[in-house]
Amino acid sequence: MGAIDQEALARPRQEKWISVVAYGIAVIVVGILPAFLSSYIQGVITRFLIFALFSVGYNVVFGYLGLPSLGHAAYFGAGGYVIAVLKMHYDIDLFWVGAPLGILMATFIAAMFGILALRVSGIYFLLVTFALGQLLYSVAWNVKWLNTPGMQGIAGLSLPSFGTGGWTLDPISFYYLVLVITVICIYLIRKIANSPFGHALIGIREGEGRMRTLGYNTWLYKYFAFVISVIFSGVAGVLFGYYNYVISPTHLGVGTSFLPMCMCIIGGTGTLLGPVIGAALIIFVELFASIMTPERWPLTLGGLFVLTIMFAREGVGVYLAKLWNKMSHPYGSIKS
Amino acid sequence: MEALRVEDLSINFGGVKAVNNVSFSVEVGKRLAIIGPNGAGKTTLFNLINGQLSPTAGRILFFDQDVTDLPTHRRAHLGQARAFQLISLLQNLTVLENTLLTLHGTKPHRFKMFRQIRDFKEVFGQAVDELKKVGLWEKRDELVQNLSYGEQRRLEIYLGLCMQPKLLLLDEPSAGSTKEECTDIIGIIKNLESDITVLIVDHDMDMVFGLAERIIVLHYGEIIADGTPEEVQTDQRVREIYMGVEECIDYASDR
Ligand SMILES: Nc1ncnc2c1ncn2[C@@H]1O[C@H](COP(=O)(O)OP(=O)(O)O)[C@@H](O)[C@H]1O
Ligand SMILES: [Mg+2]
Repeated sequence: MGAIDQEALARPRQEKWISVVAYGIAVIVVGILPAFLSSYIQGVITRFLIFALFSVGYNVVFGYLGLPSLGHAAYFGAGGYVIAVLKMHYDIDLFWVGAPLGILMATFIAAMFGILALRVSGIYFLLVTFALGQLLYSVAWNVKWLNTPGMQGIAGLSLPSFGTGGWTLDPISFYYLVLVITVICIYLIRKIANSPFGHALIGIREGEGRMRTLGYNTWLYKYFAFVISVIFSGVAGVLFGYYNYVISPTHLGVGTSFLPMCMCIIGGTGTLLGPVIGAALIIFVELFASIMTPERWPLTLGGLFVLTIMFAREGVGVYLAKLWNKMSHPYGSIKS
Repeated sequence: MEALRVEDLSINFGGVKAVNNVSFSVEVGKRLAIIGPNGAGKTTLFNLINGQLSPTAGRILFFDQDVTDLPTHRRAHLGQARAFQLISLLQNLTVLENTLLTLHGTKPHRFKMFRQIRDFKEVFGQAVDELKKVGLWEKRDELVQNLSYGEQRRLEIYLGLCMQPKLLLLDEPSAGSTKEECTDIIGIIKNLESDITVLIVDHDMDMVFGLAERIIVLHYGEIIADGTPEEVQTDQRVREIYMGVEECIDYASDR
């Protein structure tokens, strides 16, 4: 049996050095290059990483489970608000306090909302998650305690401290912190996606009734998947709070919920790294749009969306992966 | 010992009594056929036994355990497997993926999150064996939707058997299959271990009379005959109901 396994998993040799080169380039681009760029660009790349993490986590529900959530910003924003409230009311910017509490808050809210949202599926799931997200939005909008006097939202946040007296984080160190956390999280999601649990999620997407007859408690799988997905939204939200210095109700609302959905669709829901490509495209196109024609950003995003649907239906990430396969198999032999 | 016992089982769909006061029991290892015209309630009865539907009245006992209120997945763990009238395989996944999901479904490690599915070598090896048995190993990387209808039927039945069930529910396994494929399916069921109880719904009389030791006839949700194939063939009411398809019964008695 071992022999068959080998055969099934065998890959052509020439792919190896191409992979090494590709990973090398990736390490240089995200690992070394940012240190030499302007702090503005560093900020943009940090933002990209945060949204890449948000999207890859979101894709557990959207892509793997096939449930269109339009409320993940609620948990993303909840993470950010915990950071903000700690800073504003308690003057705490300690990472070891803020991060766990932010993630816990997101998880706790998801544990409750998930029970409500998972009573339905398809378009109704979209509507319920949307409504629950807007609920938090209006809470954040109306509760005085959650707003800096004179504005909507909480301003005056800072990069986290680590309790190491004297030394404070500068933007490039924060960038590396985000990079490490994002890589670890995506690695964990990859682990989960390849596990029996992850495969069961795909099975549930393809036929929930069948999965039940096979012995899967499908509700429990969906609930776990939802909560797991949201834990990563919480992580992203915490990082975003530190990064953005300001948290406002928008970060809980539908506009922000729409972003990971777009990133997944544009990058490709069927793959682990598709959403990363989607996040890169959207964040960097947004950057250029903001330089050239900031008021036309929605139009630009729409155009990007249409182009993707027309020319790379399965997502740009999948499109690139196919191209990649073609490049690394010179004789055109594509294997799954 | 009784594998299955159904007591006064009924279900209403907004006034339609799809299954009405049905009671019967099956001994372990028996092959029972359930026949009846379209709309008689056969599929609905399977849905009640397997837990897709909850009855409005009555009880279902599976190996003396009351399973009336258990969800489908729990019944799978107790040993029920089912092949559906409309094939329920995951069409957009490959043959191998379908097989792995089936094998993992009743294993305690199905919730494992941090171990690759490929690393469960034992299950993978079992999948390889099963696929070779069905003759679909060569097509392991094909999407199920690219298999022929007959191949899909065979795969679904084999996957049901992979679950090592105590009770196998087959809903019209001959539907859409060629004569050879039907013969094939009959062969599979005949060769099953004798402790597997099989309930089979079918219109194909080769299938029914070739396999069943006992036949239940459903009509408008009620049992109108229950007995050996010979008894059912000669039953007057059954003959009346099957007027249009009487040749089926005659054909069977000719053999
Ligand atoms: N989910 C349902 N809702 C309403 N009516 C149903 C449902 N399922 C089955 N029925 C009705 O119950 C009766 C029995 O159907 P079914 O069990 O599919 O028959 P069979 O499998 O014997 O052909 C039919 O009249 C059918 O219309
Ligand atoms: Mg039927």
